[in-house]
Amino acid sequence: MKTLRWAARALLRAPLRAALLVGVLGVSIGLALIMITVDGAFDERLDEIQSEVGTTLTVQPAGSFGGGFILRGGFGPGAGGGPNAPNAGDTADGADTDADAGQATLTDEAAEAIASIEHVTDYARTITALYSGDELVAGTVERPGNSPFAGNLPEGGRPILILVTGTDDPTELSSLGVQNAEITSGRTFEVDEGEANVAVIGEGLAEANGLVVGDTFSVNEAEVEVVGIYTSGTQFGDNAMFLPLDTARALFDREGEVDAISVRVDTAENVSATAEAIRETLGEDVADVTTQEATFDAISAPLADAADSSRIGMIAALIASAAIILFSVAIVARQRIKEIGILKAIGASNWHVVGQMTLETAFVAVIAAVIGALATFPLAQTVANGLVSDPTIQVGGFGRPGGGAAVQAVDGPGSNLLGEVDVAVSPEVFGYALAIALGLALVATLIPAWYVGRVKPAEVLRYE
Amino acid sequence: MSNTAVATSSGAAVLEDVVKHFKSGSDTVHAVDGVSVAIPRGKLVALKGPSGCGKSTLLNLLGALDRPDSGRIVVDGADVSGLSGAAEVAYRRDKVGFVFQMFNLMPYLSAIENVMLPMELRGEPNAQGRRTLAESLLSRVKLAPDRHRRRPTRLSGGEQQRVAIARALANDPSLILADEPTANLDSTTGEQIVGLLRSLASDDRTVLIATHDNSIARQADLVVTMRDGKLVGRDEG
Ligand SMILES: Nc1ncnc2c1ncn2[C@@H]1O[C@H](COP(=O)(O)OP(=O)(O)O)[C@@H](O)[C@H]1O
Ligand SMILES: [Mg+2]
Repeated sequence: MKTLRWAARALLRAPLRAALLVGVLGVSIGLALIMITVDGAFDERLDEIQSEVGTTLTVQPAGSFGGGFILRGGFGPGAGGGPNAPNAGDTADGADTDADAGQATLTDEAAEAIASIEHVTDYARTITALYSGDELVAGTVERPGNSPFAGNLPEGGRPILILVTGTDDPTELSSLGVQNAEITSGRTFEVDEGEANVAVIGEGLAEANGLVVGDTFSVNEAEVEVVGIYTSGTQFGDNAMFLPLDTARALFDREGEVDAISVRVDTAENVSATAEAIRETLGEDVADVTTQEATFDAISAPLADAADSSRIGMIAALIASAAIILFSVAIVARQRIKEIGILKAIGASNWHVVGQMTLETAFVAVIAAVIGALATFPLAQTVANGLVSDPTIQVGGFGRPGGGAAVQAVDGPGSNLLGEVDVAVSPEVFGYALAIALGLALVATLIPAWYVGRVKPAEVLRYE
Repeated sequence: MSNTAVATSSGAAVLEDVVKHFKSGSDTVHAVDGVSVAIPRGKLVALKGPSGCGKSTLLNLLGALDRPDSGRIVVDGADVSGLSGAAEVAYRRDKVGFVFQMFNLMPYLSAIENVMLPMELRGEPNAQGRRTLAESLLSRVKLAPDRHRRRPTRLSGGEQQRVAIARALANDPSLILADEPTANLDSTTGEQIVGLLRSLASDDRTVLIATHDNSIARQADLVVTMRDGKLVGRDEG
């Protein structure tokens, strides 16, 4: 207690020295804290991204790459491609469902085989078809100004074909393969509606045909009831229709066929092994298995780079603060060697002197840590933003079979993933700050402890 | 040998064949080279000799700021030469009071805080008591009351030395060791300081002043003369 008071007194009586120490140390502790915070935020976001894109893989008939990804804009990476849909360029020619009749499809047996593979938690079968009949009108699609493939779109609002997806796990919106989609009215399918004539349709389609939930419309001469309307935020995505798998098979004459199987794997680490197992089980000539790893890597590359930088920065800042405090304590101890000598000459024990110097250091470190922690709040987000290179440029740069990159670019999930690394500075930062400060003070104690014991008052007070 | 005589004579401090050498490079400096002397209790004793003859070294040995290579130092019946650890700390704190040529006050403490410091080190729990005692000590060394709360940088040399003497008295030691206490003061102030030190010597307090100044030595009850680490004279005043 006495020592505490003395330490405070010594600091207050030499305010300039104390302020200088606090300032320098505050900057380096603040830097370390910012880096810790930012690093944590990056790691969290990377985990999130990985869990969003990383545990799904897509099984498609062999050789089906290059299919109509564009038409499925707005579908998340988990949805996989619509392998049998014609290329974008073909859509204007009025291609219909028969265009792909000759192509191989997967089978229900294949899906069952996949289900029995280790680490597979879940799968969903889909078929995709283009509806080109005249019972329904497609919504218009405006040419997105910044789209890299805007040239492929019908000019100035010409109708496009309606993409129909049949899916057998329709109870959740996410399993419709529509990421970022929201039901705006009605609901998704229910479990017992596997063969029912029900549909969840996009907002664009609903508007173009004046449909609301509860209305019915015809598709290939069958009456289908609208049970839900969704929006995915994109015009393509909202010009589509979802049906239960068996309903879609019946209406489009695709009994027993599967265009794609979306497979969920228990953890991201098991994705590669599971993909390999599926290839082995089905044979590479039957199925193409694509994982989202490339996507993940590409999306997260700038983030991973930033996380690396922040980690290096964090370590550097910690080392710097340790060096600063050791250095300054050493300097202070040297500067005050006479004071130490006087104290010892008039009967202060080594412990007393070391204790006082340690407490002085601890005071400085704690005040510096609090200042550093406070600085973290306004600065961490800025630093995080600075560390992540421009996300849209990065995302546009990654390639993916079937034009996935383009989808990402239109849709912008990549930029969303990156642009919103939310650096929430939690009050925990004060805990870290305190830990750093006390750790540093503890380390810094070693110097006076070593030094004070060696100070011989007879020598340091010698005067000739 | 005179050793036996010294050892049996009663004194505030008794030195028996004390040796202290320093190594500087390849040379060995015989700073204190076999000194035997008894310092009588309650007297003002001057340790006289030219610069470099070993006065400071001898005082440091007496104050347990340093340890002799050989020989015995007994202060108040207790062997000082082998002190270490807590006993050494307690001895420096309670038994001796040092007054230095360069005053050596704590720079960030006021005059009165400097005087209270040894009391706090001793663990005197009564803060008001410490303050009262420090005030009275400062009055005793004739430091003007308006100087009590000043820091050393705002005190003159003479004033600083008065504070240093008050600090040396803080724990009421039986031996005051003053190493060239007037060397950094003008002669008038120096005389005042010597007068002050003189007034401190009493029945149970001995004052030992190291000096090369004859005028100071003249005021002492006993003058002990050193040359080249050895005792060469002992004159009752
Ligand atoms: N710590 C030391 N290291 C080396 N030599 C020293 C040390 N202290 C004193 N000396 C030497 O011992 C001799 C006596 O010094 P000192 O006791 O200071 O003399 P005085 O106080 O009489 O001037 C001098 O030659 C001095 O240089
Ligand atoms: Mg000297």
